[in-house]
This record gives sequence, C-alpha cells and structure tokens, in this order.
Amino acid sequence: MSLPHATYTGPKSTHEFEVDPSDPRYQTTEGRTTGASDYVLKQGHQDVDKPSDPKKVDNVNSKTGIDQYTTLSQLRMQLTGLQDDINEYLTEKINHVKKPRNSKQEQEINDLLDGSEET
Amino acid sequence: MNKGDTSFEHSLHLEIPFESIKQADVARKVLLPDPIMKPEDFQVTYSTQDTKLICDFESVDERILRVGVNSVIESIKTIVETIDELC
Repeated sequence: MSLPHATYTGPKSTHEFEVDPSDPRYQTTEGRTTGASDYVLKQGHQDVDKPSDPKKVDNVNSKTGIDQYTTLSQLRMQLTGLQDDINEYLTEKINHVKKPRNSKQEQEINDLLDGSEET
Repeated sequence: MNKGDTSFEHSLHLEIPFESIKQADVARKVLLPDPIMKPEDFQVTYSTQDTKLICDFESVDERILRVGVNSVIESIKTIVETIDELC
C-alpha cells in the first residue's frame, strides 16, 4: 500500500506534503494540532474525544518483540501526522498574512496617537 | 478558479490509499452526505482512483481551507478506524 500525500496550491506558492513512515510524528494517533489544548488539560479536564490507540496485529513479531499494527491503523497514524503538517503549514501562512497588516495598523495607530514610536 | 462570483485561490489535493477499491469507495460514500457549512467560501469533491480516495478542496483563503481540511481528515480517520474495527 502506498502512502497518503497532499499538495497545496495557492496564488503564490505550492507545497507538497509527504509521509515518512520511519518518523515518529507518523507513528501516533495523537496529533499535536488536534485534541484538547495543554491549557485545558492543565485545568484538570479529561479529553473524552481522545483518539483510540492504533490496533495491534494479533501475532506480535516474536523475533523483534516490536508490536505490529494493522495496515489501517498505520494509515490512521500517517494521516494524523499529515494532518499536523497541513495544519502547521496553513497556520504559518495565516500568521504570515496577518503580520504585515497588523504591524502596518500598529504603525498607523502609533502615528495617530503621538506621531512617534514608543520607547 | 472561479465558481460563480467566488474566487477559490487556495486548493489542496489529498490522496489516501486504502487496502481495496471497496474500502476507498465506502469512505467516499460516507463522506458525501456531510454538509458544507459555507459553500460560497469552501468546496470539496470526493472521488476514487483504484484503491485511492481523492479529496480536492478549494477555498477563498488559508484559514477556511485549514478548518475545512482538518475537519474532513478527522472524519476520514474515524472512517478508517471503523473499517479497521469491523472488517
């Protein structure tokens, strides 16, 4: 079975999202950009929507002692990593778009307030 | 790309390989009824190619694309888990 992949195309750029199955970020069902925030968890709340662990194959590899996961569980882990990649990339693009506008607005506000920058 | 008066300048093409043609088609059929909350800002089309589920997203900006893509991938993960448990 091949690996999931994605391609983003925007007015100014394109970006390929590839999965590396050996990378730990594609070996978990718990994404970094999904689920309850650290702040919420620190308040003592339980994440009732926490994703279930990947399903193991009944016969564990006796030679390596390493758990083997079903093909679909591997796909779910790869999708979780790919989802994080896409979320992080688009969040960065959103912030990049916002910053110049905000700094310009901030400058305009400073100019209007006293005509000089605060020290 | 223009659809009506809306310009979808941001797109994402997603390919997900399943174990069989049937699994990919089941996933497509499960996703189809999900309503699009703001069709004037976001569109998604589902198709299959052999054992692959293909999702094509289009949006007016990065923010709406992020929200829409994240939501669909979350649904796909649930579908994958369900097939894994039942089949």
